[in-house]
Amino acid sequence: MTANSEELELKDRLSLIETMIAEGRRGTESWGWTFVLWGVAYYFAIAWSTWGFGWSIWGHTAIAWPVTMIGASVLTMVMATRQRGRQPSTTIGRAISAIWIAMGISMFVLLLSLGLSGKYDQQLFVAVIAAMLGTTNAASSMILKWSEQFACAAVWWLAAVASCFGTVTQSSIVFLVAIFLCQIVFGGYAMVCEARRNKQGASHA
Amino acid sequence: MPELPELNPVIHGKLRLALLSLLTGVEEAEFTWLRAKTGSTDGNLGAQLLKLEEAGYVAVEKKFVQRKPQTLYRMTEAGRQALTEYVQALKQLLGGAIGG
Repeated sequence: MTANSEELELKDRLSLIETMIAEGRRGTESWGWTFVLWGVAYYFAIAWSTWGFGWSIWGHTAIAWPVTMIGASVLTMVMATRQRGRQPSTTIGRAISAIWIAMGISMFVLLLSLGLSGKYDQQLFVAVIAAMLGTTNAASSMILKWSEQFACAAVWWLAAVASCFGTVTQSSIVFLVAIFLCQIVFGGYAMVCEARRNKQGASHA
Repeated sequence: MPELPELNPVIHGKLRLALLSLLTGVEEAEFTWLRAKTGSTDGNLGAQLLKLEEAGYVAVEKKFVQRKPQTLYRMTEAGRQALTEYVQALKQLLGGAIGG
């Protein structure tokens, strides 16, 4: 082997290392569906708690939020477990999951306690949910360096502020709009990005 | 003239090098994921992973998830150290020693 071909082979090895490290770190996890799922869950809980749907069990509007949130949590866990079985775990993925799980537990415990203690105030309820979602989206976007998600965080923070200063009706409208933009629209956008990224395919050694 | 470093023969194999590099980016990875990323056959991949395991560069964990067998591979500290040294040696060789 000549010195030149040996050098080429060594350069090839170096390039292989760089390609494979990048490939391993390339996120393949898909989380866009969770935003859509939770957006639909929020709308469902709002509709149930507002109108009760007129049926026997659905008439218990007080349980609308806890039941819907528990149902959505179980569904998320089942689908995430199925998805995780196919993908390797990364430190970034675990960090982001930890933030969202911690926020979910905090929100559930706080809102359930407020509800059970009778200190229920719709505007406060919206402000707490919006502020927590703003924090979590912001932390997640900073880790991922994803400006579109940071825009969602800004929308949630605006919704939290608007809920404190506006009327009950304005607070409800702001909440519905924020859910649509930050859960349904952003979730759909994330799903499109993930599908496009996964379609690019894998490099081969 | 400074002495040229030797390249670790266990890591130098193309597929083994690709596997170790892939494992640096993840905490642990399934056999099927490594196969998809490297485009290798089951037999060849299994053989190369076994060599890395025997060298102490990767650790293997076998378990059942939803009643399906799953083999997980993760890079050990020795593997990380060996890859770092390999890259340093490679850069040293490319840094003027060859053809110089």
